[in-house]
Amino acid sequence: MNTLGNLLWLLIAMPLLGCLATLFLRSSRAVLHIVSWGVPIISVLSLGTIFSVFDRAPVFTSGEWLLLDALSAFHLLGLYIIFSISSVYAGVYFSHEPKEQELTLPLARRFGALWFATMATMALVLLSNNLGIMWVGVETTTLVTAFLICLHTSAVSLEATWKYLVVCSVGVAFAFMGILLIGAAVESPGGVGAHVLQWSEVVVAAPNINPQLAKLAFIFLLVGYGTKVGLAPLHSWLPDAHSQAPAPVSAMFSGFLLNMALYCIMRYIPIVEQAPGCAGWAHGLLVVLGMVSIGVAAVFIISQHDLKRLLAYHSVEHLGIIALGLGLGRLGVIAALFHTLNHSICKALGFFSAGRLGQIYGTHDMRRISGALSTHPTWGVGMFGSILALIGVAPFAIFMSEFLIIKAAVETKSYWVLALFLAGAATVFIGALKHAVDMSWGTPSQSVRPQKASVAERALVFLPMGALLVLGLWMPPAFWNFLEAAADVLKVPSP
Amino acid sequence: METFTDNILAVLLFTDLLLVGMSRLSGCISLVAVQGVLVGLLPLFSPEHVNPRSIVFFVVVCALKGVVFPVVLSRAMRSVNARREVEPFVGFGWSILIGVGILAFSFYQAKQLPIPSALVAGTMVMPAALATILIGIFLIVSRRTAVTQVLGYLVLENGISTFGLATVSGIPLLIELGLLLDVFVAVFVMAIMIYQINREFDHIDADRLSTLKG
Repeated sequence: MNTLGNLLWLLIAMPLLGCLATLFLRSSRAVLHIVSWGVPIISVLSLGTIFSVFDRAPVFTSGEWLLLDALSAFHLLGLYIIFSISSVYAGVYFSHEPKEQELTLPLARRFGALWFATMATMALVLLSNNLGIMWVGVETTTLVTAFLICLHTSAVSLEATWKYLVVCSVGVAFAFMGILLIGAAVESPGGVGAHVLQWSEVVVAAPNINPQLAKLAFIFLLVGYGTKVGLAPLHSWLPDAHSQAPAPVSAMFSGFLLNMALYCIMRYIPIVEQAPGCAGWAHGLLVVLGMVSIGVAAVFIISQHDLKRLLAYHSVEHLGIIALGLGLGRLGVIAALFHTLNHSICKALGFFSAGRLGQIYGTHDMRRISGALSTHPTWGVGMFGSILALIGVAPFAIFMSEFLIIKAAVETKSYWVLALFLAGAATVFIGALKHAVDMSWGTPSQSVRPQKASVAERALVFLPMGALLVLGLWMPPAFWNFLEAAADVLKVPSP
Repeated sequence: METFTDNILAVLLFTDLLLVGMSRLSGCISLVAVQGVLVGLLPLFSPEHVNPRSIVFFVVVCALKGVVFPVVLSRAMRSVNARREVEPFVGFGWSILIGVGILAFSFYQAKQLPIPSALVAGTMVMPAALATILIGIFLIVSRRTAVTQVLGYLVLENGISTFGLATVSGIPLLIELGLLLDVFVAVFVMAIMIYQINREFDHIDADRLSTLKG
């Protein structure tokens, strides 16, 4: 056992300290400063810790409560990237809020404390080896993030928050039922003993568990965590919450909250797939749910008028694509993981732009936004570029990962999946491109004044876009190995 | 010991049926509190009998579900001046019929589930757990007031706890406490939301929360 592993607790402790610190600050500016400086610093320290602890073999803390393997390391990387850029953006965004929505000290404290707390609970979910603790973490993220949605209290934001709370709490309760059923499936042949919920032990015992219970459990888990992922038809809370939350919160939701829930489902794939007679069963379910999500999202994207809701439905679509990839063999899993990171970065950029353009135009209604490229070139480029990337235009990285998923579909000979996927992607492409073009060009209305971009704003647009371009054109070999190692945690045989 | 478990579960089923037919919110709150305590009793009669773990669990459950939740919810209810569930989406007569239907379905379905009988402490566990879960969901979707939706969530959670306590023996106390803590915070957060919604809307009919579409 590696005692260095105990350093992993730091990843949870540091954001909690940040959370405490915000409660003692005396001005809202100070809170925003500590968020936009503190989170990147914590992220760098955490990534340093991960780097020094990480090993080819899984690393445990003593008592095996926390586990770091390639899969959790990969997701933690995403977590820290998204949180860092969203925190810097939060500083920019809240300083441009209109007078009546200015962040007062209590509101700023609420935002800062909940923001750090979300970071800590998400790290707990990604690191926990115990399936029960993982569940507790997921439910905690629901409760912690609820008040971030209605940071600016209004009738619609309360409506979105209530929906989010009830739908996600009930959904996640189903996932607990699934966890209990996994426990029963492990216990039933008689004797794994006290550690029925330790993932590292369950996954080893998986070839001997009760297959019927395992299947039943996976259905509950898929419905439960799937609600939080926003897979259609369980996505009803998602567009409301994403559109009503302040832009940095939407970026974090779309960029990481959804991935975190999908990560929980990923942990159960090797358990169920290895159960006797279940090979391919969980994969099949994921493919079906993925297809449904892509289809539903495509329909709503065409008929959408609200920019943030448009981006929210893109999340449904892309999480569907990721679920689809998870069901398409080893190459599919690698592509899905790659897509996770690409989508997160791109969607964060999308919400950043939507938030700032919304402040400039005073609305998120796409019919009233025009000439964004001339009004605010930086955020206009951010919006146009992120939508282009989202719909899969080459050479952005999302094109590459979607291309890999197509390759995986051909490799596994699932041609009907391929056909439906392409049809969905084409529909989204046409629908969203029209929205993007209409918003980018044209003459802005008289009341909107062109604005200059600060250095931070330029960095927030061009760094993520640059990253997407580089990953689309060149895959670093070390990164590919990392993706392969993460995919191997799911124990998918190559065809 | 099994007869005790079965008796407790029979009472649990009875409260389920009473709940679907009750319109007075304070009555519903008390019924859900009784349910919570009943679920807390279950581990005391589990095959391992009384041990420190089950006693700690019982005390915590009684304090939370028996005292704290009812107090929080009745305060939320009084503050928003909602005494009764008026005009639910499904009328009370129909609700009771559906409740009985759920019960019958649960008894039938519990036989089909492949849970090995060695695991389950008593014949009533699966039907009772299933029925309680389904009734919880039914309450959430069929009622208008936000308070009843919170109660539905609690009933759902009671059903899941029943299933867990009776079927999986190896869950560490820490996780059960974590679960309870989450439910506790959830009820609190929902109660705060009810206050805020009320301030903004002057009523708490969750069905009026329907501006956001598409």
